[in-house]
Amino acid sequence: MLKSVFSSIGEVTLFGARAIRDAFFPPFEWEYLFNQFYEIGVGSFLLVVASGFALGVVMTLHTRSTLVQFGATAEIPIFQSLAFFNEIGPLVAALLMAGRVGAGIGAQLANMRATEQIDAIETLSVDSFKLLVVTRVIACTLMLPLLTLFMDAAGILGGFVSEHIWSRLSLTLYMHRAFDGVALADFLPPTLKTAVFGYLIAIISCFYGYTTNEGSDGVRKAATNSVVISSLVVILADVILVKCIFFLFPDQAI
Amino acid sequence: MSDGPDSGNTIAFECVEKGFNARKVLDKVSFTVAAGEALCILGRSGTGKSVTLKLMIGLLQADAGKVMVAGENMSALDEDGLAKVRRNMGYLFQSAALFDSFTVNQNLALPLHRLDRTKSPEEIKQAVHQALKEVGLEKDGEKLPSALSGGMQKRAGLARALVLQPKILLVDEPASGLDRITAAEIDELLMKVKTERRTTMVIVTHDIHGARKIGDKFAVLDQGRVLAFGTPEELDRHNDSRLNQFISER
Repeated sequence: MLKSVFSSIGEVTLFGARAIRDAFFPPFEWEYLFNQFYEIGVGSFLLVVASGFALGVVMTLHTRSTLVQFGATAEIPIFQSLAFFNEIGPLVAALLMAGRVGAGIGAQLANMRATEQIDAIETLSVDSFKLLVVTRVIACTLMLPLLTLFMDAAGILGGFVSEHIWSRLSLTLYMHRAFDGVALADFLPPTLKTAVFGYLIAIISCFYGYTTNEGSDGVRKAATNSVVISSLVVILADVILVKCIFFLFPDQAI
Repeated sequence: MSDGPDSGNTIAFECVEKGFNARKVLDKVSFTVAAGEALCILGRSGTGKSVTLKLMIGLLQADAGKVMVAGENMSALDEDGLAKVRRNMGYLFQSAALFDSFTVNQNLALPLHRLDRTKSPEEIKQAVHQALKEVGLEKDGEKLPSALSGGMQKRAGLARALVLQPKILLVDEPASGLDRITAAEIDELLMKVKTERRTTMVIVTHDIHGARKIGDKFAVLDQGRVLAFGTPEELDRHNDSRLNQFISER
């Protein structure tokens, strides 16, 4: 059991290293890459924005009920923005991507393997790894930070709507309070860490889809493993990356 | 269209062995396919028929022995060498293996884009239309594979395999999953390719009726070995009950 876990970790690591290496050598699959940008980025946009907005509203409602006891409701906007920039935006966007995109990648590649589409690509002397894996890895790595930005923005907007309904707070004052005292270090490192999340989600999902060879049962396993393992790995990676951010930006830890 | 048979279109297996994990699928398999000839490979499921095709096109590598295609040892070729040989080969997969996110037109254009860089976009469009016309799907080019029936998918797969005008065509179970009439239509198309283009063909099949129509020679595989090899008439003269199970039309 333990041997199989370590063996899988080794295989996924080598798979991920190959994807990084192949991303820098031609031929580059531009057309397919732009398709993936569209499918992963544009396809996830509505889900991310709607979730961010709803979370923003709910977060504000919860925070208000606590802060009102201390007469600190004026702090709601800054709590909201820091919570979204530091943790909620990056982590929830990554988990949503693991659910929507990870499952899709795992199932699609496993189905392509089962129906010999990957073999068909190879018979055309096209490097199927570059076409199917590298393009998805690049797209997920670049799209997740962008989606996180939209989630942050939607969350803060949701918070404003909730606050406006409760206290008639103006947009200008809400935004002033939300961004007052927010440093670049509060925003940039947590947003950029999602590139690592995107890479991990894509590698794990592609690994389970691309390497399966078990027909329809393989498709089911690939989709399930893609979501479960990549979500788990994202949460574990978050712990490590937050520690790294605190080490590199000590002010953040205070 | 090919001018006729030429010696560069031959296929030869020389004592080929192939296994997966501990299981040996092919054990010292040897045979040759002459240019312009159609070889039908028969045998039970799991005897290595599809593996034989995948060795021919270089999707798998032999553990031992040589797979010679058009005079090239497929195990010794690098990616560029493989691309050069594959330029003259077409492969019809058992499930047609059309790319499900591409339209039929895009499926056919892909080999032209990738393996024939001399054609202009207009010439590619013409070649795709012509290939679809040959299989009777000229009106279905804009459809996705999921919108086609099993028989139409097979025909589209055949059009994709033929769009580069290959000198060698590999066909995996052309009749699988099809009713007799549709299977007969696919057989007719293969016959047309064979007679008009003199394409060298290797067809893996369970359908002895179709095999007898198309095949010049039969190779019967059993437990990873060649049980019998020869023309249908030669095999009919054998008095082996095991062999008769595979080649009898009853």
